[in-house]
Amino acid sequence: MTDPVRNPPDDSTLVRVRGLTTVLNGKTIFDKLDLDIPRGKVTAIMGPSGTGKTTLLKHITGQMTPDAGQILVDGQDVPKLSREALYKLREGIGYLFQNSALLTDFSVFENVAFPLRQHTQLPEVLIRNVVLLKLQAVGLRGAAQLMPNELSGGMARRVALARAIVFDPMLILYDEPFVGLDPVALNQVLKLIRTLNETLGITSVLVAHEIEAVKRVADHVFLIANGKVVAQGDPKTIANDGSAWTRQFFGGDEDGPVPFQYPAGDYAQALGFSGAAK
Amino acid sequence: MSQPRNSYAVGTGLFIVLGFAALVYLATQTTSVANTHQGASYIVDTHFANIGQLKERAPVKIAGVRVGQVQSITLAPGAEVADVKLAIDKNYDKIPLDSVATIFTSGLLGDQYVGIVYGTSKKTVAEGGTLALTKPAEQLEDMLGKFFGAGGMADNLGGTYTVTATFSNVGTLSAGAAVKMAGVPIGSVQSVVADPVKLDAKVTLAIDNRYNQIPDDSSAAVFTSGLIGSQFVAIQPGGSPDALKNGDEMVLTQSAMQLEDLIGKFLVNGSSSTDKKDAGNGKPGDKSSDTPSPTTPAGKQ
Amino acid sequence: MSTRPVPTRNALTGALAQVGGCGLFLLTLLAAIPRSFRYVRETLRQLWFVGAMSLTIIMVCGLFVGMVLMLQLYHVLSIFGGTSASGMVVALSVYRELGPVVTALLFAGRAGTSITAEIGLMRATDQIDAMEMMAVDPIAYVGTPRFLAGLIAMPLLCCVFCAMSVLGGHLVGVTWLGIDNGTFWSNMTAVVDLRTDIVNGVLLKSLAFGAVVTLIAVYQGFTTPPTSEGVAYATTRTVVASSIAILALDFVLTAFLM
Repeated sequence: MTDPVRNPPDDSTLVRVRGLTTVLNGKTIFDKLDLDIPRGKVTAIMGPSGTGKTTLLKHITGQMTPDAGQILVDGQDVPKLSREALYKLREGIGYLFQNSALLTDFSVFENVAFPLRQHTQLPEVLIRNVVLLKLQAVGLRGAAQLMPNELSGGMARRVALARAIVFDPMLILYDEPFVGLDPVALNQVLKLIRTLNETLGITSVLVAHEIEAVKRVADHVFLIANGKVVAQGDPKTIANDGSAWTRQFFGGDEDGPVPFQYPAGDYAQALGFSGAAK
Repeated sequence: MSQPRNSYAVGTGLFIVLGFAALVYLATQTTSVANTHQGASYIVDTHFANIGQLKERAPVKIAGVRVGQVQSITLAPGAEVADVKLAIDKNYDKIPLDSVATIFTSGLLGDQYVGIVYGTSKKTVAEGGTLALTKPAEQLEDMLGKFFGAGGMADNLGGTYTVTATFSNVGTLSAGAAVKMAGVPIGSVQSVVADPVKLDAKVTLAIDNRYNQIPDDSSAAVFTSGLIGSQFVAIQPGGSPDALKNGDEMVLTQSAMQLEDLIGKFLVNGSSSTDKKDAGNGKPGDKSSDTPSPTTPAGKQ
Repeated sequence: MSTRPVPTRNALTGALAQVGGCGLFLLTLLAAIPRSFRYVRETLRQLWFVGAMSLTIIMVCGLFVGMVLMLQLYHVLSIFGGTSASGMVVALSVYRELGPVVTALLFAGRAGTSITAEIGLMRATDQIDAMEMMAVDPIAYVGTPRFLAGLIAMPLLCCVFCAMSVLGGHLVGVTWLGIDNGTFWSNMTAVVDLRTDIVNGVLLKSLAFGAVVTLIAVYQGFTTPPTSEGVAYATTRTVVASSIAILALDFVLTAFLM
């Protein structure tokens, strides 16, 4: 279902971000961010809350337009694409939402079949086989006739994953795939991400906080803070690169480069002890 | 993409069918379209001196039962009478040739229809035939005149004598309106004409002969029955020993109140010193020339 | 995309922004019609939800409106001895005013709110974003089918409402109060006109109301902040804005169509 393989400008990089600048409600989210996501690898994007990790994913899919900068996905500059070209590109991208975002009107089977029905005229038999194949891959073939509200959080996420891979995309974006999962479900999702990457060669990008889970699944880690990449590299080595950012993030210190306090005026003044208290 | 959604399709289909069925029902059963769907019928010609408000597709009734409808209403150029073609159901083909076609009104406010009252002739009217005997539409004014003035009855009983009265303004008084004394009808207005010289209204009253003792200095006033009722002439007896005779003229008259004047008076009642000026200003300008202050009896001549 | 909430400054500019946003959104919806042709089934499914599911309330209310109208008219008209005209007056007042207006108000309460709440919740649970990501245009897949369904459903519902009102009037007038059956129908058929009453009154008005109600409902759903509070607020706003729009538009339409 994906586009015919063309010769990408850079074989080893699927997503190339250059000079990305985004300002939301007067707050600078990205400040000339540069990022290269390697093809065929599992890449994790980490960083403190509010640094715009999800915003970055939305830039990659063209849901949000940056104020400046280039985002090349498979050689195409996403912000400059027309609507049709963007939709064409999105057919090659799977996106796993934090809360699964299954269509509540439809059964599990119809949810997974939804992209197929919308974009192809495949015969019913073929659709059935493809859907059951994908559901089998996430281990939920038996749940095909359940409705989304009958699923647990982990199951819903696996169904969403089956839906995301139904077109065999070249790229899957996982938005916080580990949040709210019990250890068993967490292991299942970790294994799925790994398996999909290894067996189908799907480039995976995941946004996450869970350091242990990321260490188990990711090939490459970007640490984003203050709108820039502050550290990157192998998950095993990045924690030991010695910078203040990684020390705080991987060491779990409550104060450091990322301040504990949200930016505010003078504390004493806010409490009414102006001048004298100082 | 069919199996799981078939129930919707069926339900939606039912909904659409029901909606359209309701539309067809409304359009065919409750509108005038319902009247056009008739069985086999035959056409009968009639001629009326006055059709009043009769319209095409109005019902034709015998003994109050609908037997057909008015097919067309035309007035031939130069002709004096309206040519009304009636389409009558084939089931009712035994209508005597000397039957009378009359234009009736259903109730006081209803639409008009053609009623056929059977004659006695052995011959029946055929397709394309003509019912020669007709009675034109009763005009509401005539009916009201009869109703309020009992004029027709007065004519029948003992005849009337006429007197004239001149009003500066008669409002909407028309021929046939009642003439009342002490609230009781004693006659009717025979004619209302404008005097070309004096430029006011000359009203001829036909008063029942029984009431021949009305003093000749009595005054006549144009009153309105209620807020929206019809207008009538009220006679207030005077004290003279001489009585009104046929052809006399009543000298003391009081013109019709205009609603505008009434409202104007009402509004400026509080400031009586500027009463006249305000009342004059409040009136539409074109009326001021022929409407003197209506409260004072306008003694003419 | 025009799906961002419009920033509001004060009541007046806020209301103006809502009206303007609604107008622009109508263009978006209409522009998406060609793209939504492939989602005909979705339109049909929405027709089931907004149309067929509203049928019960419309039928019951129509019946009662006709019945109560007949009861009132009978008492007033009996003063003038004009009770035979009451069937006609029921039909005329329902066709020209009450049918379209009451159907539209009920439709706003029944279908408009559910459209707003559904779209709002779909946004809150990222379903709209998910469609975007699956390269399915949410305006064409979610917005336009609901709009078209409302456009089709309203005239049909209004016809059902009017028919039920006439039946309700007949029930009370003829079987209960003893108006003659023939008089009831013949007075009605003599006065009710196909073009001015059925086409202009029932069909055109309800079509316009259907467009306005569903436009407001879909617009509110797409622009509300995707939170539970935002959805609740948007649902209320759908009813309020629809009601005002229906009655204001009714005045304009009546002035033009009479």
